[in-house]
Parts: sequence; structure tokens; C-alpha cells
Amino acid sequence: MLREKIEKHLLDIQKPSRYIGGEVGSVIKDKSKVDVRFAFCFPDTYDIGMSHLGMKILYSLMNERENYWCERCFAPSEDFENIMRENEIPLYALESLDPIKDFDFIGFTMQYELSYTNVLNMLDLAGIPIFARDRTEELTQIVVAGGPCVCNPEPLADFFDLFILGEGEEVNLELMDLYHEMKKQGASRKEFLRKACNIEGIYVPEFYKFHYKDDGTIERLEVTDNAPETVKKRIIKNFDKVYYPENFVVPFTEIVHDRVSVEVLRGCLRGCRFCQAGFIYRPFREKHADTIVGQTKCLCENTGYDEVSLASLSTSDHSEIDPMLTKLLTYTAGERINLSLPSLRVDNFSEELLEKIKKIRKSGLTFAPEGGTQRLRDVINKNVSEEEIMNTCRIAFEGGYSSVKLYFMMGLPTETDEDITGIAELAQRIIDLFYTMENRPKGRGVQISVSCATFVPKPFTPFQFEPQDTREMIEHKQKLLLDSVNKKRVKVSYHDADVSILEAVLAKGDRRLCDVVYTAWKKGCKFDSWGEHYRFDKWLEAFEECGVAPSFYANRRISYDEILPWGHLDYYVSHEFFVRENKTAHEAVTTPHCRLKCSGCGVNKEIGGRCFD
Amino acid sequence: MIRLRAVFSKKDRAKYISHLDLNRCMLRTFRRSGLPIWYTEGFHSHPYFSFALALSLGYESDCEILDFNLNEEVPPNEVRDRLNAVMPDGMKIISVAEQKLKITAITNAEYSFSLITDSPELLMNNIKSLINQEQILIEKKTKKGIKTVDIKPDMKIISFEVSEKSVDMVMRLPAGTQTNYNPSLFFEALKKSSEMPFETAKIRRTGIFCENNEIFS
Repeated sequence: MLREKIEKHLLDIQKPSRYIGGEVGSVIKDKSKVDVRFAFCFPDTYDIGMSHLGMKILYSLMNERENYWCERCFAPSEDFENIMRENEIPLYALESLDPIKDFDFIGFTMQYELSYTNVLNMLDLAGIPIFARDRTEELTQIVVAGGPCVCNPEPLADFFDLFILGEGEEVNLELMDLYHEMKKQGASRKEFLRKACNIEGIYVPEFYKFHYKDDGTIERLEVTDNAPETVKKRIIKNFDKVYYPENFVVPFTEIVHDRVSVEVLRGCLRGCRFCQAGFIYRPFREKHADTIVGQTKCLCENTGYDEVSLASLSTSDHSEIDPMLTKLLTYTAGERINLSLPSLRVDNFSEELLEKIKKIRKSGLTFAPEGGTQRLRDVINKNVSEEEIMNTCRIAFEGGYSSVKLYFMMGLPTETDEDITGIAELAQRIIDLFYTMENRPKGRGVQISVSCATFVPKPFTPFQFEPQDTREMIEHKQKLLLDSVNKKRVKVSYHDADVSILEAVLAKGDRRLCDVVYTAWKKGCKFDSWGEHYRFDKWLEAFEECGVAPSFYANRRISYDEILPWGHLDYYVSHEFFVRENKTAHEAVTTPHCRLKCSGCGVNKEIGGRCFD
Repeated sequence: MIRLRAVFSKKDRAKYISHLDLNRCMLRTFRRSGLPIWYTEGFHSHPYFSFALALSLGYESDCEILDFNLNEEVPPNEVRDRLNAVMPDGMKIISVAEQKLKITAITNAEYSFSLITDSPELLMNNIKSLINQEQILIEKKTKKGIKTVDIKPDMKIISFEVSEKSVDMVMRLPAGTQTNYNPSLFFEALKKSSEMPFETAKIRRTGIFCENNEIFS
């Protein structure tokens, strides 16, 4: 029925194959034989969502169970959304083309703060009540979320029945098993949630009430319904043996990352103090080189992709990087597969490794010093020295590269104008290096791209206590940078400060932001991460109307003893560690990475032993 | 190098695969099949796939032509079966054989379609009066701009019949390297001349022909 209605309009919209399913690798089941149906929703368009590795893993994992059926669902682009609303087509899942409002679970993955309004829009398109409190008492339509943003889920708390903290491979199935069992018994939604909150990793926000002080900070947290005082994230202990899909859904239309992805390691041992991923995914765990090669082969054969990329936070930190790349390259070269290697770090970039990479890399090299001076790099614990940057650039230039892309952050704690002009000076020294080299690539001048993001303080990092620079400060620094670079050789690009402000507010926000998110969506905000859709003016109106000051969240220093909106969530890294690291940062002292020396972040206590053998 | 030609159908959901995406889709299908794909030599080595005619997005077909090369001899029926085992839903290889004729031999293609309306009899009369005109002038977009062409001499109606809710037609139009007319040109002409609303449905390419109405193979 719905299919006919959909097909009637498919030729009037852009890239219709995104809305009708039928891709190779998609899983079709007989719904009369299915007990639990899960709609895996990505709060952005198909092109972006289909690139997400986590969805591929959990999709295949849930579908391994014969009586569970996981389907995909994405945010429609504006053209199709309008058609859906005009023709009363409810948001549906791509496999069965059934409305997701009839599903048992509606699960969102929260990858970035600027996708929050899309969640509301998708629930609305689906015909599901936006606020959890308005949903039926029956056990159905459980709206859940996971992903990195749920480490502080408070700005979304009113919209979800529960959040899944940490890695989903085990807990998702446990949750579905519990649901299946309780559904048979005829339990209610509330009864289910009361049981579910006892599964490790499950956070049911309605059982937690915040009380605030007059100054706006949190006074205390009241826990009801016998829910646990703290909720601990889930991790996979044996990462080498963790489930990994043997097949991906292969889209017809081109997507952002249109290739096989193989996860080589999880967690990061570096401890860069601004980086949330570096802390929330701890401990560092890796797969054996042979496991990685096996999974690569299997996926390439089953999908037909001729490109594979290694996914991780820092691929070159893999302890078997050399044998792994050698084995992979032997396979990929023989099969005419391109291997792409994102996330390579400057400091352990050996000549042998570069030789191997040169064979397969066509584009330029990208490095992320993040800070323009050594002092600032020490503050953020980006353990990269200028000597190492120069050395890597020298190797790269000798290898025939003549363009280098450098990533920096602006607005970092303790940053001064000197650190900003330091970016220009560093770029200039790289240019000078190029021209002093006799064996530099001939016939071309050197080109440096400097890409500058605005620092966003994030929960579960040593910088969670830090204020973000105000817009005026950021604009001053952006102008300073533009004025100090060599315009002929250096191209500067930077992020819109307005976007980073909202990111900071939503990242560190508390439950009072739910109304702001709702109001902003009501005013038409959606696809906030898309430049052409972003309406900061509407957001400011929403803040104003809800009586919430964005600066309270973005530009205020949080004291070490303040109760944090995410303080009851346990991501294995201790509060004491973050305080210690914050203090060390202000002394511009670095902390060595985990393999060199354990810094006592607290993770090893949780996993019962050492992170490294 | 072994040159082969496949005839394949593209129906159902597969009709939403655009021509641009079809190339990528075929490459992945061939890779999944494990067939020995032939690659071009040179710096940007790539496999060779060539579709005889582009098919508009949303159109179905029973007769798409794909030319491709293999590195070693594989029995044509085995090629067909191995591809079909890993084809996307809605697509099927009907036959694989050697390339008998050159692509340039194609002169026209046949399409079937339904024109949905509440008053099919009336629409039928409109169609009749349209095709009885001396000329059927339409504006065709070309690379050089908009051109007015008379599609009547090249348009051959094979059949039309009235059913309860539609007029169902089969027609042949020029196709190939020289002139390509899409049935949408006829729909436009009909919309302009009849001023009555109708919707098009089940548009399908049903045959690709050479001069003398020989089926292209």
C-alpha cells in the first residue's frame, strides 16, 4: 500500500534510489515470523547515514537473529519530505517499506550535536509522539539512542525512552531479548523500562530528576524507580573476536564513504585533551592483522567494492601496522582494490611506511598539529614536536608531494595571539623547508592548506571544564590568522563560529535544553550541520523564548566540584583523572601515551587489569 | 581479451537506478561474481563496460544491452548464471553471447506504456487526432539549445488499446548514435494538444532494433 504511494512520487525527486530500498545486501525477512522489529534511524540523509560504520555492524548483528529484523531509515531530503507531508506518507523503513511507528524499537544513532533537530523531525514525520511522556503505555514504539553524543544525552532526554551507552554489539541484543520476553508477558512500557535500566549500559532518563540551584548549576540528582545511581557504558572485552559483518548493504547512488570499511582498532592511546573520542572509546583494543585481512577479503568479495578503508582513531598506532599493511597491500593490489588509510599520525610515520603508502595514495598528505606553537601543543597534549612535523614534511616532499594540508584548532584553552601567528609561522617554515630542499618536486610550488576548526569543549575530556571563546574572540583570531599568513602559498579555511557555539551548548547542555531543541525545530530548524540549512537566528530566538542563555553552557568555566549533567554516567575514565589532566594542561605539561606509561585514567580498574600486555 | 554482449532486464525497484549509477552497479556485480574481468592497460586501468543505449530513470526494460570484456574464455551461460546469482533485485541477465553487430547498427527502440486517465475513450480520440496531424512538432533540448523537431515521420505506433483506466500503447522511436527520441516527447506533444490530464505508467523498453526491424544482437 505505502509502496504504491511512495513510487507515485519517486520520479519527482532527487536520487530516488535512496527511498525505495532493494540494494544488494539489504536483509528482507518474513514479518509474520519476526518477533521484534528494530528501525535503525540515522538522523541525516541516506548519503551520509549509509556511510556510517556503526549502523552496518549493528544492522548485520541484529539480523543474524532469525526472529529479529533490523531495517534502515534515514532523514528524507527536503524535496521528498515535502511530498511525504503533502501525501501523508509516514516515515518508513527501507527494507519492508512499513511505517516505523509500528516498530518495536526506533533506534537513533547520535553522531553529532547538530543532528538533534533531525531526530525530532523524523519522529514527527513518522507520526510518533516527540516527547517520551506522550507515548503509549503499551509496550511498543520504544525510542532509543546510542552513539558518541549520548555520553551527555541530557539535551535529548525528554525525547527518548532510553539511551544505550557505549558499544552496542552485546547490549542491543540483551535489550531486544528483554523486550521480547516482556512483550510475551504483556508487560507495559513502564514495566519494561524499570527492568531495562538494570541492564548495564542502559540509561532511562525519566528515572533521573535534576534539581537546580539559583545560579543555574545543578544542585542534586534524584533517582527514582530503583534505577542505578550511576550508569556504566558497555565495552566489548575481546575486540579481536567481536562480531563483524560479512556483508554491507551496497547502495546504488553514490554515498559519502562508498567503500568497504574495516575497523582495525577501537579506542585511542594518545590522550589529546580536547578529543572526546580519545576518552569515551577507551580502552585501546586492536584486531590481529590476520583478522583485519580476513574481514577485508570477505567484505570485498561479498560487496564487490573495489575500495577499502581502514577505520580507527589512529591507524598507525596499531602494533602490527607493518605486517598488516604488507598483507593487505598484497591482497588489494592483486585484486585491483584501492586501500585508503585515514587517521595516520605525524610522529610514527616511517620511511618504509611512507613508501608503502605512496604506492596507493594519490591525494596530498594531511596532518593535524592542532596548535601553532609547541607550548600550545603541550597544553592540549598533542605530542607532536615541530621537528617531527618538519621531518614528516621532508619525507613527503622527497616522496614527490608538494602540497600539505594542516589541521588546527582555534580557541583552545590558554591560547594567545602568539599561538595564532604561530600557525602562520609554522606554515612559513614548511614553505622554507620546501625551497631549501634540492630534491624537491620540480615544476611546482609548494601549497599549504590550513584548515582551522573552532575548539568545542566536550564532556568526558580534560577540557570539559573549559569555556569556549566568545564569537568576538574567535572572529578576532580568524582575522589575525588571515593577516599573518603568506597568502601566495597558504590557503586558510575555517569553520563558522556560530556552528561551533551551538555545538558547545548542545554538547555540554543539561535537560533544560530539551525545550530549546524542540522550540528551534518548531521554528523550522533541521539539517543544522548543512551550511545552507543552518539558521542560527532561529536558534537564538529559541534560547530567548525558553529563557536559556547559551553562554551559560558555552562560555562559563565549570568548577571541578560542580555536579555535571553527565556526572551520573560512567565512561570508565575517572573524574579525578580529568581534573588532574586539566591542571596539567594549564601547566603546559604533557602526559605520555598509554603504551609508554599508564596515566591512571581509571579504565584499567574497570577492565580488571592492564590495558596493555 | 574476450568480447561479450549481455542482454539484461531492469525492472521493479531497479528502474530507479540512474544510468550513472548503473555503471558502478555493474562493476560491483561483476566483481561479486568473481568472473575474470578484463582491465584496460595504461595509467588509470579500469574495466570496460559499455551500455548500448541509456535508459531514462524510472523506465523499465526487457532488452538492455551491455558490452563487456573478460580476460579468459568462460561459457556464456556460465557467465549469465554467475552474474544472476549476485545481481541486484529487479535486474536479470537474459542472455550472454558474442557481439554480432556493432552498436552503430541500432536504429530504433520499442516502448510500451500506459496513459492513465479517468476517461480513456476521450484520450484515445485525442491520440488519434494527434497522430493524424500532418506534423507533430515538439521542442527538444539538444546540446546546442532548444530545437523544434517533427517527430511524426519517425514515430511508429505498433498498437494501442483502451482499457478500463488507461490507454495502453506500444511505439517505436529512433534510437542509437544518430537520433534518439524518448517517449516523453510524445507525452509532451499529447499533453499540449489534448489539454486533458493523464499520468504515464509502466513505461518499458521492449526491444532494440536495427534497420529492417532486425532485433539487435
